[in-house]
Order: sequence, then structure tokens, then C-alpha cells
Amino acid sequence: MTNDVLIQLLAAFLFTIGMLVVLLRRDTIMVLMGIELLLNAANISLVAFSKSGGMIDGQLQVFFIITVAAAESAIGLSILVNLYRNFGSIQTQSATTLKG
Amino acid sequence: MSPVIIVLAAISAVLAVTMLIAKNPITSALCLLGVLLMTAGIYGLIGEHLIATIQLVVYAGAIMVLFIFSIMLLNLNKESSEFKDKPGIFIGAVAMGLGVFGVIAFALNEHFLKHRQEIPTGEFTSEKVMALGGNSKVLSHALFSQFYISFEVISLALLIAIVGAVVLAKRKFD
Repeated sequence: MTNDVLIQLLAAFLFTIGMLVVLLRRDTIMVLMGIELLLNAANISLVAFSKSGGMIDGQLQVFFIITVAAAESAIGLSILVNLYRNFGSIQTQSATTLKG
Repeated sequence: MSPVIIVLAAISAVLAVTMLIAKNPITSALCLLGVLLMTAGIYGLIGEHLIATIQLVVYAGAIMVLFIFSIMLLNLNKESSEFKDKPGIFIGAVAMGLGVFGVIAFALNEHFLKHRQEIPTGEFTSEKVMALGGNSKVLSHALFSQFYISFEVISLALLIAIVGAVVLAKRKFD
């Protein structure tokens, strides 16, 4: 087992944990943190593959993904503040206005 | 296989599991911060210095400060989220997680490890990058020549995100 296989397995593990955080936790802020963990796992995988293949495209892609993650968390947290103002709670089950 | 990378990977795996099961959102946020720092360490150890720096500054610096700030702003300590689901849902989700991990590991073995020798390598080997002036120089040169339109578009997207966050966080549209 070499370095890049270990890093790929770590990326798969972090992706799994991030998916479980998104699915299981009931706080909207925890769901957002799970999305960050998913993006981080994808970044690790991209960088490790690109490094072992002797390319730089993966690293540049990761640069753009990090920027998009920053924008996404800024928007997500301001939506969360609005959610807290409107419903008084940020639990995912409190926002049921659209429920038929 | 470098022992430092093994230690960093083990710490980040433990921190990720702690993040999943912690009751307090602040604990989870600090665990996520730890995972991001360990990731930056791994990037640095495999020689990706520019990505490691950006990970430290943007992810661990800016995004996590934003998260911890909003947790404190919303005062989430009282309504700490616990697992209120039935245990069956938890067991099913963990089984699904194991399934996803297994599928990824299987695909890694099947499509990467078995064909390792046949995969063509690109031109940017470690020696070539070193001869061209280092990782940061090579990446920055590609970013401002080959990918300059993407760079401009991503800066526009960040500007739109800033304006959108300000509009969303305002109290009322008046």
C-alpha cells in the first residue's frame, strides 16, 4: 500500500462520514458542515490522483472548488440566519411551510 | 508509505467520527476544523504547497470562523441536536455508509490499482515541477494563462455570493 492509496482510502472514509452527517443530523448547520466535509473529501481525492498521475489539472480544479465552497457556506449561513428568524429554530423538521 | 501521513490520516478519521457523534455543534465544528488542518498537512507532505496554503487560509481560516461565529450567534447550545430517530434508522444509515465505502474501495482497486502500469503519466512529474521553479509557480502560471477565464468567472461568482449574502441577511426588504 503506497501513499496515494492510503490518501484515497482516507478520502473515501471522509466522504462516507460526511454523507452520514448530512443524512443523520437534525441541525441545518450540521448539514452544512457535512457538505463541507464531502467537498473536502473530493478535494483530497482529486489532488492525490492528479499528483500520482503527474498532472496539475486536479490541483487547479481544487482551487476552484475551494472558492465555490467559500461562496456556498456564506450563502448557506445567511439562509440559516433567516431560517432562525422565521421559525425560531434551525432544526430541519421545523421548516415545513411548503409541506402539502 | 510515510509514517507522518499515516498519523495525520488516522487523526483526521477519528476527528471525523467524533464530528458525526458529537452532541454539541461547537464540538463538531472544532472537529471539522481539525480534519481540515490535517488535510492541509497531507497536502503539504505530498508536495502540494499552494493547495496546502489555500486550504489553511480559506477553509480552516475563513469558512470555519464563519461557521463557529454563526453557531455562537444563534446560541445553539440549548437545542443541541441528538439522534432522535429510531435506532433502526441509525443502523440502516451506518450500513449504507459501509456500503458506499465498500463500493468506492472496490472501484479504486478495480480501476486504479490493477491498471497502474497502463495509466499514462502526465508531464508534470516532481522533478519537472522542481525544475520549472516549484509547485506554486507552476500552478500559478497555469492559473493565469490556461485557466484565466475560469479565474475571472470564479471571481464574479464570489462577488455575486457576497451581494447575495448581504441581501439575505438583511432584516427586511424595505
